[in-house]
Amino acid sequence: MDHRYAGSRRRLVLASIISLIAVACNSATPSTAPSASAPGASQNVAITPEPVPTSQGGLTADGKVLIRWFVGLGTGAQPDQIADEQAVVTEFNESQDKIVLSLEIYQNTTAYDILSTQIAAGNPPDIIGPVGFRGFYSYGDQLLDLQPFIDKTGYDVSGIDPKILDAYKEGFGGQVGIPFAIYPSFIYYNKDLFKEAGLAEPPHKVGEQYDGKDWTWETLTELAKKLTVDKAGNDGTSASFDKNDTSQWGYYMQWTDPRGWGTQFGPGALVGSDGKTAQVPENWQAAWQWYYDGMWKDGFIPNGAENRSELLNSDNAFQSGNVAMDFVHLWYTCCAWPAEGEPQAKSFDIAVPPSHEGTTTAKLHADTFGIMKSTAHPDEAFEVMTYLLGNDKLIARYGALPAVSSKQDAFFTALEERFAPNDIDWQVARDMLAYPDVPSHEADMPNFLKSDAAVKAFQETLITTDNLDVKAEAEKLRNELQGLFDQAD
Amino acid sequence: MIGQPDAPALSGSTVPRSRWRWTASRREAAWGWAFISPWIVGFVLFTAIPMAMALYFSLTDFDLRRPNEVQFIGLANYEQILRDPNVAQSMSITLRFAVLTVPPTIALSVGLAMLLNSPRLTGRRAFRTLFYMPTQIPLVASTLIWIGVLNEETGWVNGLLTLVGIQGPDWLNDPGWVLPSLGIVGLWGIGAMMLIALAGLQGIPSELYDAAKVDGAGAWTTLRRITLPLLTPVLFYSLLISCVGVSQYFIQAYVLTNGQPDASTLFYNVNLYREAFSFNQLGYASALAWVLFLIVLALAMLLFWSSSRWVYYAGERR
Repeated sequence: MDHRYAGSRRRLVLASIISLIAVACNSATPSTAPSASAPGASQNVAITPEPVPTSQGGLTADGKVLIRWFVGLGTGAQPDQIADEQAVVTEFNESQDKIVLSLEIYQNTTAYDILSTQIAAGNPPDIIGPVGFRGFYSYGDQLLDLQPFIDKTGYDVSGIDPKILDAYKEGFGGQVGIPFAIYPSFIYYNKDLFKEAGLAEPPHKVGEQYDGKDWTWETLTELAKKLTVDKAGNDGTSASFDKNDTSQWGYYMQWTDPRGWGTQFGPGALVGSDGKTAQVPENWQAAWQWYYDGMWKDGFIPNGAENRSELLNSDNAFQSGNVAMDFVHLWYTCCAWPAEGEPQAKSFDIAVPPSHEGTTTAKLHADTFGIMKSTAHPDEAFEVMTYLLGNDKLIARYGALPAVSSKQDAFFTALEERFAPNDIDWQVARDMLAYPDVPSHEADMPNFLKSDAAVKAFQETLITTDNLDVKAEAEKLRNELQGLFDQAD
Repeated sequence: MIGQPDAPALSGSTVPRSRWRWTASRREAAWGWAFISPWIVGFVLFTAIPMAMALYFSLTDFDLRRPNEVQFIGLANYEQILRDPNVAQSMSITLRFAVLTVPPTIALSVGLAMLLNSPRLTGRRAFRTLFYMPTQIPLVASTLIWIGVLNEETGWVNGLLTLVGIQGPDWLNDPGWVLPSLGIVGLWGIGAMMLIALAGLQGIPSELYDAAKVDGAGAWTTLRRITLPLLTPVLFYSLLISCVGVSQYFIQAYVLTNGQPDASTLFYNVNLYREAFSFNQLGYASALAWVLFLIVLALAMLLFWSSSRWVYYAGERR
C-alpha cells in the first residue's frame, strides 16, 4: 500500500462514513428500518372544508382581514360537528364584508403538535378553540389579554359566573378567555340494560337512595357487578363469573385520566398549595385503588385492552351498548349518537353520581376560545370571537351548556329535540353545576405538558397491567412529578 | 511536459514553482465534481446545514412556542439526557428491538433470496414481484392496515391462529407482545433487502459451485464455504443499513402504538419526537438527535473496523 496517501485515505474513509450515516438518516431504508419521514401525514392534513385563502400580513388577496380559526385542541373535530362549524363560518362571512373567517380543523391527537409547529414557523392562527384548560395551560403565555377589548367594545360578561370568568384570568396575567361553554358531568346509563337485568334505575337527585341504600360508591359497585355479564351469561356477583370473558360492563369513566378518576371521591390536585410540591391526595389514592380493583379484581370496569376492543366500539364505550353506566361530561352528547346510523345504546338517561363520605362531586369542564398574541388584527379577531361565543348553533353542536345563564333554557330545549323520543332528565345536568370539583382536576401544574404526559403514562400502566401495587405506582408518579416540577423551577 | 504531474517544490529550493495548469486529469476531476454537485448541493442544504442548526439548537433552550426567546444554555441539554429516565428506557427498547429483529430480518431475506435463486422454483419472477410489492405501499397506509390485521378479536393473524386451536395474544395492547408485533410488521417489508441479497447471490461465480460439486461438496458445505463467505459484502451492507434503520425506527411505532402500551414502544425516535413536538422542547430534542447520530456513527465505525475480519470482497488481497 502506498503510505504517502494513507492519512488522506483514512480521512476520506471517515468522511465517507459520516456522510453515509447522515444520508442514511434521511433516506428510505428497507424492512425493519423505515424512512424517518414525517409521520401520519394524513393526520396532519386539516379537515378544513375549504382552502385557506392566501394572505399577506393577515389580509386576503382582495384586502379583507383574514382571521384563521384553529379547531382541534378540544372538541370540534367530530364529523358531525364539522358541517355546523362550516355553516357558522359561511354565515359570518356573508354577514359582513370586512373580515374573512377561515376554518382549520385538525384531529385532537395531532392538533397540539401542529399548533406548536405553526407558532415556531411564525405562522400561528388568530383564534384557537374551543379548548379547555389543558390548551390554555399549554399556550397561556401566547394568548392575548382580552380585557382591553372587553372594555373597548363594552362586551357584556355580567351573565357569566364570575368564578368561571376568573378561572381564565388567574395565573394567566390577564383575561385570556371569556367562558363559552361549561360541561357538568353525570352518569349516562343504558336503560335497556337495567330493564334486562330487572334493576331499578339510579337516582336523579342528590340525596336520593337506591334500593333502600344510600347512593354511595359502595352501592354503585354492587349495582355495577350485577350489570356486568360474561359471555356465558353469569353476572359479576356470581361465583362462575369469568372476568376474562366479559361481554358487558357495569361501569366506566370514559375519556378522562387519573385526575378525573380521583374526583369520583372528591376534588384534589397533584400539586400542593405552594404550587411546586407534588402530592397524591388520599381521596384520589382511594379512588385509584377502587378503579383499579374494578378493572382487574372485580372486572366491572373495562381495562385498556377491553376498552380498545371492537366490543366497546374501540374507545367509545357507552355508544357500544355494552356499558351500563358511564360517568362522563355533557360534551359526550356530541358522540353518544354516531354521525350515521344509530348507537347500540339507543335508550339512555342520566343520573347523579354517588357520594363519597357524604360529598357528591361532579367534575366540571369549561371550553372557550383564545386569541393568539401574535395576531395581526386583534380587533377583528375579537369581533370574530364574540360572534362565535354568541352562536347558539355551535354551542348545541358541541353539546355545550352556555356559560351565560340566560341561554341555558334554550340549550336544554334544543337537546330535548335532538334526542327525542328519548326522554332524558336534563335537570340532572343543571343540578350537577352545583357540585363542581374545586380545585379543578384540570388545574395547572408546573411543567404542564410533561406532567400531563406523566399522568397519562401512569394511567396507561394501570389500565394495561394486572397485579400492580397501586400505592407504589402512585408514589412513583409523585416522585416523577416532583422531578418535573423541579425542572420547571 | 503536458501530462506530467507537477514536481513537488523543495523547501529552500531556487527552482521556480510551475504555474497551475488545467491538465486533463484536473479537467476530468472537474467534470466529476460537476456531475455530483447536485447531490452535494442537496447534501449541504438538506443535511449538513440542518445538522449544524440542530447542533446549535442543542445548546439552547429553544421552545417551539417561544421561538423569539431562545437562550444559550451550553451543555445543559446533554446533562439532562444523562439524567432522563425516558432516554435510558427508549435506548433500551430500541436496543431490544434491534436484537429481536435485525438477525431474523437478514436471515429471512437471505433465505428468501436463496429460494428465489433456485433454478427449481417455478414462477420466480412472480414471487420476486410479490415479495417486493409491500415496499411500494406507503408506510403509514400499510401500518394502518396492520392495526386491523393484528386486532385481537377480528384480525387475520388471530383468526388463523384460532383455526389451529391457538388463542392469539393482544398483539398491540400487550406490553409483552407489542415489540414482536412490530417485528412482524417489519418482516412484511423485507422485499428490498431480499432483492439485494438476490443480486449478491447471482454475483457469485457459478464456476465455484461447479468446482465444489466436482469435489463432492454437499449443500451445507457449499453454503458455508462458498455462498455465505462471498455474500458477506451484502450481509455487511444489510447489517449496517438495518442497524442505522432500527436506530431511526419511528413511523410504525408512532402510528400503531404511539409509545404505548405502558411506554413499551417508546423508541428513541418516538421519545425524540415527543420532546420536540408534544413538549415543544426543540433544543432538548436536537441534543437527543445529535447523541443518536454519534451513537450510530460509532456503531458504523465499529462495523467497518470489524468488516476486515469477516467480509470478503471478490479479488481482494489480504
